[in-house]
Amino acid sequence: MHEFAKADMLFGMSPLWFSATLFVVTYVVIVTERLNRAIISMMAAALMIISGVLTQQQAVQGVDFNTIGLLTGMMIIVGVTRDSGVFQYLAIASAKLVKADPWGILVMLTLVTALLSALLDNVTTVLLVAPITLLITDTLKLNAYPYLFAEIFASNIGGTSTLIGDPPNIMIGSATGLGYNDFLFNLAPIAVLVLVVTMVPIYLIWGRQLKAEPHLRNKVMLYREKDAIKDWVLLKKSLFVLTLVMVGFIVGHDYGLQPATVAMFGAALLLLLNSFPYSQEKQTEMVAKTLADVEWITIFFFIGLFILVYGVESTGLLEMLAHQVLALTEGDKNVTAIAILFVSAVASTVVDNIPFVATMIPLIKNMALSMGGQQELLPLWWSLALGSCLGGNGSLVGASANLIVAGFAERSGQPIRFLPFMLIAFPLMMLSIIISAFYVNFRYF
Amino acid sequence: MKASEVMDPHPSTLKPTDTIECAASHIMDNRYRNLPVVDDNFCYVGMFGVNCLLKQVIPKQVFMDKGLKNVGFIHESFDDLFQRFAEVKDQPISICMSHDIKPVSPDTPLTETLLQLYETRSSIPVVEPGSCKLLGMISYWDVGRKIMQFKDEC
Repeated sequence: MHEFAKADMLFGMSPLWFSATLFVVTYVVIVTERLNRAIISMMAAALMIISGVLTQQQAVQGVDFNTIGLLTGMMIIVGVTRDSGVFQYLAIASAKLVKADPWGILVMLTLVTALLSALLDNVTTVLLVAPITLLITDTLKLNAYPYLFAEIFASNIGGTSTLIGDPPNIMIGSATGLGYNDFLFNLAPIAVLVLVVTMVPIYLIWGRQLKAEPHLRNKVMLYREKDAIKDWVLLKKSLFVLTLVMVGFIVGHDYGLQPATVAMFGAALLLLLNSFPYSQEKQTEMVAKTLADVEWITIFFFIGLFILVYGVESTGLLEMLAHQVLALTEGDKNVTAIAILFVSAVASTVVDNIPFVATMIPLIKNMALSMGGQQELLPLWWSLALGSCLGGNGSLVGASANLIVAGFAERSGQPIRFLPFMLIAFPLMMLSIIISAFYVNFRYF
Repeated sequence: MKASEVMDPHPSTLKPTDTIECAASHIMDNRYRNLPVVDDNFCYVGMFGVNCLLKQVIPKQVFMDKGLKNVGFIHESFDDLFQRFAEVKDQPISICMSHDIKPVSPDTPLTETLLQLYETRSSIPVVEPGSCKLLGMISYWDVGRKIMQFKDEC
């Protein structure tokens, strides 16, 4: 927990009431999606400082630069790597591996999506997999909906399994010091189970009816996956750096290396390897293009949000809320963990899971004393990670990746509508949360 | 000189309701690149040309926002391309008319007209000011022929 100096408020306002009001208003504006989320969070952060709740120095302290560095570093690495065509290669090769059988392709693309989401991030993964999915379903004259639906689920389930797979995990890892291996050992097993179970209803609803003419399957078999690789040299450099970064995540924690350091080192190394053979002018051009591809809206959204939540935390509001939660659950760790799991799942279905998790982190930290120390909070962190990541599957607005897939579906003339999606997605998401509840209960209590 | 002095006042035109197949035949038979599309009142509504035809035979995932950037792995025959074309051949050309080419007025100075011709890389329509009535078309060939009339014999 942080030590905060007494706020010197503008016009003698109550810091608690001001920050609580600003917090609620910011959330409401984020949910309405009337304004770009980066603008909202930066405005809220500035108001936290102007009003006197935080000084600028305190605001900077509130920003979790480990999360920012990790996100930016991975965005740079993925931005360079995707130009090699390796992700298209994987998607095509997996489709051919099952002889272009429609259900087999669905399973393989789901696995590829889950795997890439675990190693990269959900948004990048679906950006790479969705267009190739539409091409394949178009060629096979199949409805793309089941494929895109399964990929949405796979991206959020895959992202749940690692530290870097989904922003909530990055934030939780950074705030708690939990490493890559902690996430892998605690969340990957349940993610695999949830993915397998999720495929059953998908098969029963759509999978049994997926059929394609042999001559159309043959067209897919004629795709030459090796031709998807545009730059073999870049591919080798990218895979080398990606492997190095993964090893860094796995072993770096034991040597005190934060994930942001590993990701930023990887990003710098890949930029160096990629730019080295070229003139200084060309290098500048290449680096500028790569940096321009970083999702700065997300990065600034995070920065503003960290300051906003830090401001709220400084007033003691989150500590009060933590006590309220503990009073409701009567301090029972098991009940608290399950409550966090379900509440975060439902909340992540309707609102962006990033601000939700940003708020929950200090709230859970404030429970440490009552729970008997930081170590006792572990099940709560896993519940938060599972609820907020898997909860993203509950509706079309539950995660950024969902909206990106929906955008592709719309552009291909096979729109994914909000309610029909939710009718199947929400029960499936709740099924994954129930499985997670059993997992948390049996593994940690 | 003005645009009206280099335009072809009797251009070949298409109607928005013409099918893609008919328009394609007309374009291929006469080796046109682009043709103006006019409604029943001869009002200019857009351009239709070879780019639209090409777009119909390339996988549409390429043209999506953030779509496929590399299609080098797809190896198709002419029959495959025709199958893709056949799916849209009966659709009206209005589904892929281009509205990017801005018309000029008959009084537009020649140099400005030439610059627009250079920038749009397509024949440009000449439209009556204050209305949408198509008065003519200006192509590279119309302009080129008028300039080259002053050349010496080769």
